[in-house]
Amino acid sequence: MIMKESMGPKPYMNPYLAGVILGLTLLASYLILGAGLGASSGIARIAAYLESGLVPSHVGSSEYFGAWGKEPLNYYLVYMFFGVFGGGLVSAFLSRRLQFQVERGRKASIKFRLVLALAGGVLAGFASRLAQGCTSGQALSGSAMLLSGSLVFLICVFAGGYAAAWFVRRQWHD
Amino acid sequence: MISTFFGLDALSSSAAMLTAFVIGLAFGFSLEQAGFGSSRRLAGIFYFRDMTVLKVMFTAVIVAMLGLQYASELGLIKEEHLFFMPSIYGAQIVGGLIFGVGFVMGAWCPGTAAVGLASGRLDALVFLAGAGIGSIFFNEFFGLLKGLYAWGDRGVRFAWQDLGLSASGFGFLMVAVALLMFWGSEYLEKRRAAGGTYWRSPFLRSFSVVMILLALGLMAMDGRVAGERPAGGAASTSAMLAEIESAKDHMEPEELADRLMRREPGLMVIDIRSAEEYAGFHIRGAVPMSMADLPELLAGRENQGIIVLYSNGMTHPAQARDALFRMGFTNVYILTDGLVGFLDRILKPASLRTDLLSEEQTARINSWRSYFLGADKTPAAPAEPEKPLAVSQPVPPAWPGLVEPAWLAENLGSADIRVIEVRAQAQYNGGHIPGSVCVSHDNFRGVVAGISSMLQPSELLAGHMSLMGIKPADQVVLVYDDKPHDATLVAMAFARLGHGRFGILNGGFPRWAQEKRPVTTELPQAQKSQYPVPAPDTFTVTYKQIMENLKAPNHVILDVRPTEYYTGEKVDEARGGHIPGAKNRPYTDDLVKYGKVTMLKPTEELAKAYASLVPSKQTTVVIHCRTGHQASQTFFVMRYLLGYERVLWYDAGWTEWAARSELPVEK
Repeated sequence: MIMKESMGPKPYMNPYLAGVILGLTLLASYLILGAGLGASSGIARIAAYLESGLVPSHVGSSEYFGAWGKEPLNYYLVYMFFGVFGGGLVSAFLSRRLQFQVERGRKASIKFRLVLALAGGVLAGFASRLAQGCTSGQALSGSAMLLSGSLVFLICVFAGGYAAAWFVRRQWHD
Repeated sequence: MISTFFGLDALSSSAAMLTAFVIGLAFGFSLEQAGFGSSRRLAGIFYFRDMTVLKVMFTAVIVAMLGLQYASELGLIKEEHLFFMPSIYGAQIVGGLIFGVGFVMGAWCPGTAAVGLASGRLDALVFLAGAGIGSIFFNEFFGLLKGLYAWGDRGVRFAWQDLGLSASGFGFLMVAVALLMFWGSEYLEKRRAAGGTYWRSPFLRSFSVVMILLALGLMAMDGRVAGERPAGGAASTSAMLAEIESAKDHMEPEELADRLMRREPGLMVIDIRSAEEYAGFHIRGAVPMSMADLPELLAGRENQGIIVLYSNGMTHPAQARDALFRMGFTNVYILTDGLVGFLDRILKPASLRTDLLSEEQTARINSWRSYFLGADKTPAAPAEPEKPLAVSQPVPPAWPGLVEPAWLAENLGSADIRVIEVRAQAQYNGGHIPGSVCVSHDNFRGVVAGISSMLQPSELLAGHMSLMGIKPADQVVLVYDDKPHDATLVAMAFARLGHGRFGILNGGFPRWAQEKRPVTTELPQAQKSQYPVPAPDTFTVTYKQIMENLKAPNHVILDVRPTEYYTGEKVDEARGGHIPGAKNRPYTDDLVKYGKVTMLKPTEELAKAYASLVPSKQTTVVIHCRTGHQASQTFFVMRYLLGYERVLWYDAGWTEWAARSELPVEK
């Protein structure tokens, strides 16, 4: 145990193998749940729950969150989201990759990186409500079903990402 | 065959929650193993530095895709057990572009950020907080975003279908594109000296070969099967739709009757109603089978002889027929107009028919009757509904819309649920839903600008709501006795006030009572509120507006009065007839009775009926009756249950139109 702790993090898994495991997980989700993987729904429902803790009547009467009822957390994708966190934790621990840090390029300030992370989060959170899914629910799960709209979403995600990449490159400068 | 939680409608069960959690564990584990607990690595793809995201993601997509196609090809899973997301192109294009920008800025996406947080990355925590804020932002501005949210909604669409390919053919293309991208990425990484570990490696070679073989295997299976069964490909779906469109999948009652009387070999007539109904009456020669047993009992009869399905109506047989078609049956027909049609067109005595009959026709009817009825007796005809009324389920309502009694019963105690009984005072006094108040729909009407029975202006309506202690955010449930249009008229008052959440109790008070839900004689306590007065509504139209648009394209006037008033046979006003060009759809056609319970017909049935009257959901529809009362029910159906976007209400109705002699009338 002591010896292990002195060792550095384990190398990442072969990406194709990780992809096969992820693909089989998605397949299992389809064959057992009947629906694919999802992550942004969980976040949005947690947000609705937190907001209703502050202004309950407002959330209850709002058209979008209101439709989720009084217990927005009572939804399978919320449980899946907690599962993702748990699975990530187990894997990071076993691979000795658990490390508190703000990931950024050496020349970038922490503040700069966190401002971009926050702004990126706001855009991604908003966009995934608009498109009814994120990289998990639409790009991954929907594309595996060969759904037209999901494939279009997947292409647009990369188009948007590559278009904006140059402007935010400094956060990774070493 | 696999039954999924979705297929069993059990996605909200605790077993499904637990399963979702376990699947989430595997999901998070594989993401972390791939290295997605690191934002730097995720961002790498956008700078062509580290293509892991592409490799993992596309490997997962093709593996799951092949797995799904094999599962359905081998009959492990059926389409109805899977949830397919609709394609809403506008929302998905705009959402995808914004998401991409957010992805490269934050260097996380929602799922990987959860894994990043689990790995201790503080930037992941900040990203997640941002995503929560973004979701709240969406909710707050949903009113403005609704149009965009539904922009370009094309329903469930498959890419292979849009491109005119077979699913397996398109799947092969996907695999090929993914493999090309993998090899390209490895080459790129190698050139940049950042990785490219797998360039020309035995591993990537064998991985590529396996994926291609799997995709080819699927195409071969599809090809082999294509000769035997038409299911699967795009061609077969369009073939089915073409047959449905041309009604080739229907058999007319007369044809069925003649074929049965000839005792045609190979003809199988199946009654898919309940055993009790079958025992009560069935077409002579028909065999009973429940819908669920059809695939098993009919195995081996694909394309042998003729199979005719019937029920009271046509909805269930049509569904069963489509399901069988997908399984490869091309010899299944449904009886036009169902048993109801058969009773009317075959078994109704010649003496009761309205058409003039030739002697031959009379003889034919008599021979049918003697064959199918044995003696000259009328069958114990099941009057209308296909099935006895089912007990309601606690499904949350989609406001404004129908409210299920079971849901109301579960939520009755909540402070923001307000029940208004639009029933007679005496009936209410005898027993009502706990906490409910009683009003007459006439309380909300009065003389406006010389016309009687008009819905009151919003300041008066707001006054009524304030007295009842109703607040704009309340969930209001309107309860009728036997006339749904009493409740829908009050619903018009809420619509005029711009109230968000109101609905009518599905089945009204009689269904509530029949399901033995709580009833009391106690009076409720209500505190006065201050209901705000909104701007005038935009759905009420005047005769002037109707006159201006009388010949406008994409404009339909629906007269919902009983047909004899529409035709002018009966007249209770200054003049008889209807507004030129108006179509007639009596409001009673939307109702169905189960004993004492009066309900609106099932939404699918209503959707079909209105689709044949109104070209599209964007067509402007003006609804009127005599005083606006009956029209309120059709308004509710079209606007809230069927989602027609431009539904207008001519409240003054025929009372005004007939009285203004300058207005044109058609008979």
